[in-house]
Amino acid sequence: MASAPSKLYADDVSVVVVLLDTNPFFWSSSSLSFSQFLSHVLAFLNAILTLNQLNQVVVIATGYNSCDYVFDSSSDLNRSFENGRMPVMCSSLLQKLEEFLIKDEQLSKEEPEGKIKSSLFSGSLSMALCYIQRVFRSGALHPHPRILCLQGSPDGPEQYVAIMNAIFSAQRSSVPIDSCFIGSQNSAFLQQASYITGGVHHKPQNLDGLFQYLMTIFATDLHSRSFIHLPKPVGVDFRASCFCHKNTIDMGYICSVCLSIFCKHHKKCSTCGSVFGQAQTEAASASDKKRKTPET
Amino acid sequence: MPQVKIIAKNFMDMVASLPAIKLDLLYRNQFICEAILRSLPPLAKKYVLQMLYIDIPITSKSLQEWLLADGSSKHKVAIDRLIQLRVFEVIDRKKETTYKLNSTFQTNLRKHMISGGILPREPMPQSVTARLPTSEELDAYAHEQWECFLLQLISSGQAEKSTSFSSSMMRIFQRGLLRQRDKEAPRLTESGFQFLLMDTNAQLWYIIREYISNSEEQGVDQADLIAFLLELSFHTPGEAYSLDTLTDDQTTMIKDLADLGLVKLQKGRKESWFIPTKLATNLSVSLTDSSSRKQGFVVVETNFRMYAYSSSKLHCEILRLFARVEYQLPNLIVGAITKESLYNAFENGITAEQIVTFLQQNAHPRVAEKIPSVPENVTDQIRLWETDLNRVEMTPAHFYDEFPSRDVFEAASDFARMHNGLLWEDAKKMRMVVKAEIHMLMREHLRGQNK
Repeated sequence: MASAPSKLYADDVSVVVVLLDTNPFFWSSSSLSFSQFLSHVLAFLNAILTLNQLNQVVVIATGYNSCDYVFDSSSDLNRSFENGRMPVMCSSLLQKLEEFLIKDEQLSKEEPEGKIKSSLFSGSLSMALCYIQRVFRSGALHPHPRILCLQGSPDGPEQYVAIMNAIFSAQRSSVPIDSCFIGSQNSAFLQQASYITGGVHHKPQNLDGLFQYLMTIFATDLHSRSFIHLPKPVGVDFRASCFCHKNTIDMGYICSVCLSIFCKHHKKCSTCGSVFGQAQTEAASASDKKRKTPET
Repeated sequence: MPQVKIIAKNFMDMVASLPAIKLDLLYRNQFICEAILRSLPPLAKKYVLQMLYIDIPITSKSLQEWLLADGSSKHKVAIDRLIQLRVFEVIDRKKETTYKLNSTFQTNLRKHMISGGILPREPMPQSVTARLPTSEELDAYAHEQWECFLLQLISSGQAEKSTSFSSSMMRIFQRGLLRQRDKEAPRLTESGFQFLLMDTNAQLWYIIREYISNSEEQGVDQADLIAFLLELSFHTPGEAYSLDTLTDDQTTMIKDLADLGLVKLQKGRKESWFIPTKLATNLSVSLTDSSSRKQGFVVVETNFRMYAYSSSKLHCEILRLFARVEYQLPNLIVGAITKESLYNAFENGITAEQIVTFLQQNAHPRVAEKIPSVPENVTDQIRLWETDLNRVEMTPAHFYDEFPSRDVFEAASDFARMHNGLLWEDAKKMRMVVKAEIHMLMREHLRGQNK
């Protein structure tokens, strides 16, 4: 019919934006070596491209200080339909990744000791969303985008606000964030991201079989998700970070105007500037405290 | 095991209908494995990926456990397809059906995942080929070549340059599309018109299908041809590949494919090479969905005038089928839809519905935004003119008169009415017309009356 057919792409065409954790502090302590991890991921990327000729893969490296695009299957280098050629893809990805790691390392010279060694997840998540916005605006005909986070570093509470903002904007544009946590302690950020956006969160038990996990769970396109069993969230860690000291807290004070979270009583909200009432006695204030407990 | 007869609607159906031995041979080629994987329904793809690194057979029960309850119909489709293409091997063990991936397919796909596929030929270096056509030039070339072929197909005299297809090959392509009454010029049949309405990928597929099914007569193996075509679709459009890398059979094929616009042949000082065009690479794309869509060019006004912004002779020929072309400017064809022109079309077996959909599908982008894109009075009138032709209905019948008495006449007319066969009666003159089906019954009835 004359009306422009907007759904000419098959349902299972997807753009997968993969956020790769390259935090050297994490990989130096991980049981799985970075090169092994990469070989799993490369095979996975290749599989995604093999599944459909219109599929697209974008890889963003999440470093300690910075993040950058390292691979885009739609760029000229790889040619639109010739994306299956692993040697080209592999070499260009590895080369870009190496350049990125060197640059990232140079930035980290004057870092103070004792901080939590988290990677710049908020930055890479925002970059992924920017890329997806570009896909959305490329015309009526675009594949279904989704984000896959391959993260191992612990959460950086100081990024809480930025990450939550990114998560909510992903939710608004209905982009699911899948997350695969390969570190030792599960990440509250990733759990929340997947829970809020309707993605899948999974923490593989056995990292040697990472490829099979990736294929079974994360290669599932959005269309197939409606009829395939996927891991369901079992108890999401909803804890928040306070805005004043960036600590992860169970219980705290919330500004009634802008909903900013604080771990201590303040005279004035640092976000919106509203003036709070006089601090009450400990006994009375206990009932005023807003509770934020993990829903398990 | 489902053994359904397959009507080849697309490439993969044709592959699926190949005998098992040939299929196994095909799976030795990594690219065919990839193309097959891409052609599968989403769920089937998932099954293949999940079982890629599993060496033992999997029971159908555990396969179904991967699914939610409402996916069972999809499961059945996926499994049927996988078995049809022999990607899944069925092993019955202790009353339980188990599936296993075809081992050739499995190893090839594994190789493909890990190391990626490497084409049997490398693109030629820039130093040899000097300047290659740009992608726009190549598109234009493919388009022109394809249109020339189509023009030759529907009216052999019109084409400026003839393709190298032998007339017997051409006749094979024309079979079903054209109808030739003796001594008259061949005319398009209904399916021929539908063929012209299809988008390029679908048309291409129709021709390729005919080409493949007739390849055996030319001494080319079907499986070889399919393998080569699939392989071709993984080449980079716009890159030059040396002709020396092809086998003899493939060299003859590539000449035919060049006529269709799938590849462009070029000759350097010493070597010659072929450049795949988008048509070739889209061949495997169009297997699953047709994302390429031609831009429309026709504007129809409420006064039945039609403006077609096109310089193509083919478009002009198509329009001439149902409209009176008045004049032709370099980029514009002006015509009118008239009663006479439409009657011509109807006589050729083209239906009003087909014409209306053609006008709607090829509406110029400016009018395509409007609803309706073709004025309603025009579409209505086209349909009305068609029904005009069908105003007279023919029913074979028999005429009865000279009844001996009014009683006999009345009994006869009641009898005819009872059998729902009375078309007309004139009680005064005792005459009636009865449908031919019940003539025999009627005769027996009258004979019984006479006794």
